[in-house]
Amino acid sequence: MHRSDAPPRVPQPDDAFAGASPQAGFPEAPTYFDRPLLKAPHWGWNVVAYLFVGGITGGLGIVAAVARGDRAEDLRLRRAARFAGLALASASPILLISHLGRPERFLNMLRIVKFKSPMSMGVWGLLLYSGTAAGSVARELIDDGTLSRRLDRFVPPSGVLLQALLGCFMSGYTGVLLSATAIPLWGAGKRHIPAASVCSSVAGACAIASLYSALEGNMAVIGRLERLEAVASVVEMAVLGDFRRISGAYGAPMYDGPRGRRFRNVTLYGGILIPGALSILGGLFDLPPRAQKWRTIVSSLLTLAGGYVLRETLIEAGKESAANPHAAFRQPQ
Amino acid sequence: MGTPVSMATGFFTDATLCIGCKACEVACKQWNELPADGFEFTGDSYDNTSQLSGTSWRHVAFVETTELGDAGVTDRWSMLSDVCKHCTAAGCHEACPTGAIIRNEFGNVFVQPDVCNGCGYCVVSCPFGVIDLVERFDPLGRQYNLATLNENRREENRTALAGSGGVAGKCTLCYDRQKLGFVPACAKACPTESIRFGDLDELRDEARERVANLQERGVAAALYGADDVGGGIGPLGAFFLLTGRPESYNLPAEPVLPSTRQRAGYTAAALAAFGLALAGWAIFRAS
Repeated sequence: MHRSDAPPRVPQPDDAFAGASPQAGFPEAPTYFDRPLLKAPHWGWNVVAYLFVGGITGGLGIVAAVARGDRAEDLRLRRAARFAGLALASASPILLISHLGRPERFLNMLRIVKFKSPMSMGVWGLLLYSGTAAGSVARELIDDGTLSRRLDRFVPPSGVLLQALLGCFMSGYTGVLLSATAIPLWGAGKRHIPAASVCSSVAGACAIASLYSALEGNMAVIGRLERLEAVASVVEMAVLGDFRRISGAYGAPMYDGPRGRRFRNVTLYGGILIPGALSILGGLFDLPPRAQKWRTIVSSLLTLAGGYVLRETLIEAGKESAANPHAAFRQPQ
Repeated sequence: MGTPVSMATGFFTDATLCIGCKACEVACKQWNELPADGFEFTGDSYDNTSQLSGTSWRHVAFVETTELGDAGVTDRWSMLSDVCKHCTAAGCHEACPTGAIIRNEFGNVFVQPDVCNGCGYCVVSCPFGVIDLVERFDPLGRQYNLATLNENRREENRTALAGSGGVAGKCTLCYDRQKLGFVPACAKACPTESIRFGDLDELRDEARERVANLQERGVAAALYGADDVGGGIGPLGAFFLLTGRPESYNLPAEPVLPSTRQRAGYTAAALAAFGLALAGWAIFRAS
């Protein structure tokens, strides 16, 4: 890719129209044989999947906390969110370990607590969150009699609030983890990427909860979940649109070319607009229960696909951003 | 052993003295037992190392420029041995979640390979693109520099790396040699004293004197990293004397310490999360 079998690059008149030109939008500067200045992230599907799953588990903590405690269908939703939250929190270290290579390597991160490293904060956040998620599942199992009442005193009621707070952290810290790096695209989104991560995580959590509720026939909560999902999605759309505007040439790897098209189609249209339209459709017409159920399932799966592609686009576009020396010469503040 | 050292050590690398012999690269590889990067001809002047990497801790850049001036066409050739900058506030050091990356008693940024878990967060946190993961345990006994391999082989090895887990590698400023009172291998091997090693304060004084002297003689010379490079990084523990723009040596004109963006990030995330939690609370109470 960076071998210079081509002669030294002379600016051509049609450069102004070539979106792929590495210099587009950046001040004129010499390069060193057009070689990348920065190293690209060594992160593949397992890290992408962690960003997705780790965020959604946090969002489920929020969903579990906002459900009402005095309504039967909300209690079923809370139970669903708690079980799904623990399942996804448990999947998270497995994904991280699959990236690190060997399980004991995960333990190296437990030697220290480092406030300056979002990765260190994230590991501790994940561990604490998993603890509260396990506690809330234990609470469910004690309440329904599966576990002995004698375990009651080990599960303090304050755990619910703690899980929600840690859930807020889990839903967005991965955005901070990306933006607090030298990768120009990510750095340019120091506010937008964390905010978009939170929105996508909450929308994804609503989608998981809707899916779960639709499958177990708890249709009464679907409308409320879809309203929260719509709020999160509208904010996400606004944040991603604004990021495109402020990121300028730094944002090109994310918004331009085939990757940008895929991102728009899957995340913005497929993951936000179509579920939104389906949700309005469900509200306007009195659909038969079967149709309502399938509408919810399709809409939730689309939202989840959009959330995954958002993370994948961020990572892959970050690799391209690192390869452009012009973006790296003047790093975003 | 155990001699208390209060000074910070570092490198001063002078492009006007470098002859491009790459003795520094060879000495570094030899002393640190770093594997070869393979034989690949880049066609980029005499530079086949291409960049600093997990297994190339010194890299001699060959900068060729042709200028059309009053005296006709002038060809200039500037060489510079690039190295880890051992930043005052180091992105890799702050990012490392295991504490594998430390600042040692000489004030240098050092990676403890037995503590590193290969997460790769330092790689994306270095504003100079220095540190990289390198495969440590290759079942076939091959050692590759991922960066200089062609696209297919690089992908193949990325996959291998993901499977067995690499560790981060970069210049140690010859921590082991310094502890014995020796000069780092590259500085020792440099035949023109383009690479100077020593106490940073003394090196900076020396560099300022050198650059003033060159400018007096009409050489366009400037220091890079002797003073604060901006972006929260501070002065560099390995700084350079350049005869062209930093970008032409693949050095960033405006590097930024990545952690300076954290406060904005956490604030934005907290606002979004609390806002949505509140919205959810209201939605579930309203209907």
